[in-house]
Amino acid sequence: MDGPVVPLDRRRAPHTGLPWAWCNLWRNPFGELTREERAELAVVDVATLASHVHHPRTALQLIGECGRGKTTRMLALLRHFPDASYVYLDEDLPCGAIAEGVPLMIDEAQRLPRKVMHRIFATGLPLVLATHRDLTRPLKKAGYDVTTYQLGDTNNAQLVADSANRRIEASRLGPGPIPTLSRHDADRLVSRFGSDIRGIEGYLYEQVQLQVYSDGEMRFVD
Amino acid sequence: MAKCDLSIELAEDANFLYEGGGTVRGKVRVNVDQDVKCSGLVVESVWKTHGRGNVTSGTFASATLFQGEWVAGQVVEYPFELPVGDWPPSYHGHYLNVDHYIDARVKIPWGFDPKASEPILMRPTCGPEAAVTKKAPSRSVFAGIFIGVFMMIWCSGFMFFMVQNPFSLICVGIFPVLFAVGYAIKVLLPKYLLGEVVYEVSPTVVAPGDQVTGELVLRPRKNVSINAITLDFEAREVCISGSGSNKTTHKHVFFEQTTELQSATTLAAGQERRFPISVTLPEDAPYTLDLPSNDLIWATTLRIDIPRWPDWSKEIALQVLPSGKPMERPSRSIGGASADLDSDAAAAGGITFAETANHLWSIRDDSEQLATLVDAVTGLSFRIEAFVERRLLYAGDEDPHLFKDGYAVWAHYGEPPLPLVLYVPHQLADEFEQIGRDRWVGQGTIVGWDDRHRRLQIKLNA
Repeated sequence: MDGPVVPLDRRRAPHTGLPWAWCNLWRNPFGELTREERAELAVVDVATLASHVHHPRTALQLIGECGRGKTTRMLALLRHFPDASYVYLDEDLPCGAIAEGVPLMIDEAQRLPRKVMHRIFATGLPLVLATHRDLTRPLKKAGYDVTTYQLGDTNNAQLVADSANRRIEASRLGPGPIPTLSRHDADRLVSRFGSDIRGIEGYLYEQVQLQVYSDGEMRFVD
Repeated sequence: MAKCDLSIELAEDANFLYEGGGTVRGKVRVNVDQDVKCSGLVVESVWKTHGRGNVTSGTFASATLFQGEWVAGQVVEYPFELPVGDWPPSYHGHYLNVDHYIDARVKIPWGFDPKASEPILMRPTCGPEAAVTKKAPSRSVFAGIFIGVFMMIWCSGFMFFMVQNPFSLICVGIFPVLFAVGYAIKVLLPKYLLGEVVYEVSPTVVAPGDQVTGELVLRPRKNVSINAITLDFEAREVCISGSGSNKTTHKHVFFEQTTELQSATTLAAGQERRFPISVTLPEDAPYTLDLPSNDLIWATTLRIDIPRWPDWSKEIALQVLPSGKPMERPSRSIGGASADLDSDAAAAGGITFAETANHLWSIRDDSEQLATLVDAVTGLSFRIEAFVERRLLYAGDEDPHLFKDGYAVWAHYGEPPLPLVLYVPHQLADEFEQIGRDRWVGQGTIVGWDDRHRRLQIKLNA
C-alpha cells in the first residue's frame, strides 16, 4: 500500500530564500492586503470624494458591482477623516452595532434593515454608503444632499497601472530597480477584464506566482 | 515627507536561516532630515502571512531603542538584539506564505511614522508539543458560537412563522428537510450497504519523513459491487480572503498521492475485509499550519466508490510538526525559506546529497562497497545540484528509469565531480533546454548505478 513518496510541488522544491528576491520584492504584490495597507495604496482622489461629505445631511453613495473599488475608496476615506467610523454589514448575520462617525461609512448599505436605515438617516450625520442599490430616495426623503458615483467607468488602464505599481512598490525588498506594469500591459488587462479590478489583481497574482524563484524580467501579461 | 529615514542592517546575510528561539542581531540606522522629537524608536520581531488569505500576524518581542530628540543632519545607529519566534515557521507556497521580519518604527507625535522592515528566514527547533500549543486558538469555539447563534435565530424565526401563519412552515421547514436529505445521502445510504466501516490511522501527529499506518475494516451488510477503494493522501493550502459575503476560499493542492487499495470487485455480505494502509511523508514536507484564514493541511481521504450509489468517504487530518531535533533533521527545501543555503542538498534519512556524493566518490574504485552504498541510498530523495554535460539522444529502450516522453542527460556533481545520469521528465524538458550546460538545482531520487558509464542514476521529480 505504501506508494513511492511523490515529490512536492516542483516549482518550489529546489529553491531557497525569498521567492521574489530575484526581482527585489519580498512578496507577491497582488495578494491580500491589510485594511490599513489597502487604504494607503488606494489610487483614489480622496480630497474630491471627501469634499462631498463635509457637512451634515450630505451623503456620498458609491454604487458598483463587486471588485470595482467601493470598499477601497471607503477605506481611503476612513484614513482621511480622523473621526470617521466604518461598518461592514454582513449578509449572513443580523445587522450589528453601527458606531457614530463623521462621516459614518456603511459598506453594503443596501443590507440596512429599513428601521435601522431610517434611524441612521434621521441623525443627519454625513454619510458614505457603499451599496449595490441606489438609496437616493430614502436619503432625499431624510433631507440629504446626495452625490452618487457609479464605479467601474473610471477604472481605466491608467488607474490599473498606477494601482498595480503602487502595490509593487509596497512590496519592494530593498533599494534598486523593481518590476513595473506598463501602460501597454494595463491596456491589455482592461480589454480582458473590463473594470473588474479584483479580477485583474487575481490574474496578476497568478502570473507573478508562476515566476517564483525565476530570473530575467517579470512578465505580467502573457 | 518623513522627517527621518530608517534602515535596518542585520548581522547575518539575507539568506541566513535563523533557528526558532534564536537571536537576531543588527542595527537600526536613522538619517535625520529635520529636527524631530522621537517618542520611541521601536524594533520588533514579528511574523506575517502574505498571499491570497487575509493577512495574519504576530509579534514575538519588542524593544524601544531610543526616546528623545534628533537634530537635522544626524546619522545615528542603534544596535539591537531580539529573539526570533519559534512558530509558525517560514513557508513559501502558492497561496500561503509565512515570513518573519524585523520591523522598526519611529513614533513621531502628530506626524508620519517612518518605518523599515527586513525579512528573515526561520526554521523551527521546537518539538511537536510546543508547535501545537503555539498554534492559533481553535476556531471550533468560534464555529460553535456561530452555529449556536444561527440555531437560535432559526428557531426564533420558526416559532414566529408558526404563530403568524402555519402555512409558511413549508418554507421555513424546507431547510431541515434539505439537511436531513443531505445527511441521508452522505451517511445513511453508504452505511445501508457497507455497515459500520472502520478507518483509522496512527500516528496522526507526525514529522516529515515519518510513516503513517492504519487499517480499513469492512463487513458489508449486503453483497456490494464497488468500482474501487482508494486512498488519497494530499497536502493543501486553504486561504480565506475577505469576510461575510465577500469571503472567498482559495485552495491549492501541492502534494497528491492516490493509492488503489482495491480495484473493482464485489464485497460479500457479512465477510470481513481488512486493508492495511501505509503512507510516508516526504522528507521535505512543510509543517501543518493552522493560522486564522491561512491553513496548510495534510490529510488522508479514504473513498469507497459504489456505482450508482453515494460513495463512502472519510478524511483524517495529520498534524505534521517539527520533531524537536533540529540538528538531526534535514534542511527543508519545501517551504523554501527553511532550506539551508549552506547545505547544497536536502537530506534524506539524515544524509545530504553532498555527503552521498563524497562517499560514492571516495569508494568509486571499490565495486563491492560501491554496490552496497548505492543499494543503501537507492530510493532516497535529495535536493540535487548538478552541472549538465549533455543530453542523451538515446538512453536505451529497456532503461526502466526513463520517463514517458522524457529523456536523460549526463551531468556531474560540483565537488567532487561525481558523474550522474539524470532522467528528465517531460515537464522539465524546457527548463533543461534553457540551461544548456549550466548548473541545475532540483529534487531527484537515486534509482541506481550505471556500471557501464560509472554514473549515479537519478530520476528527477516530475
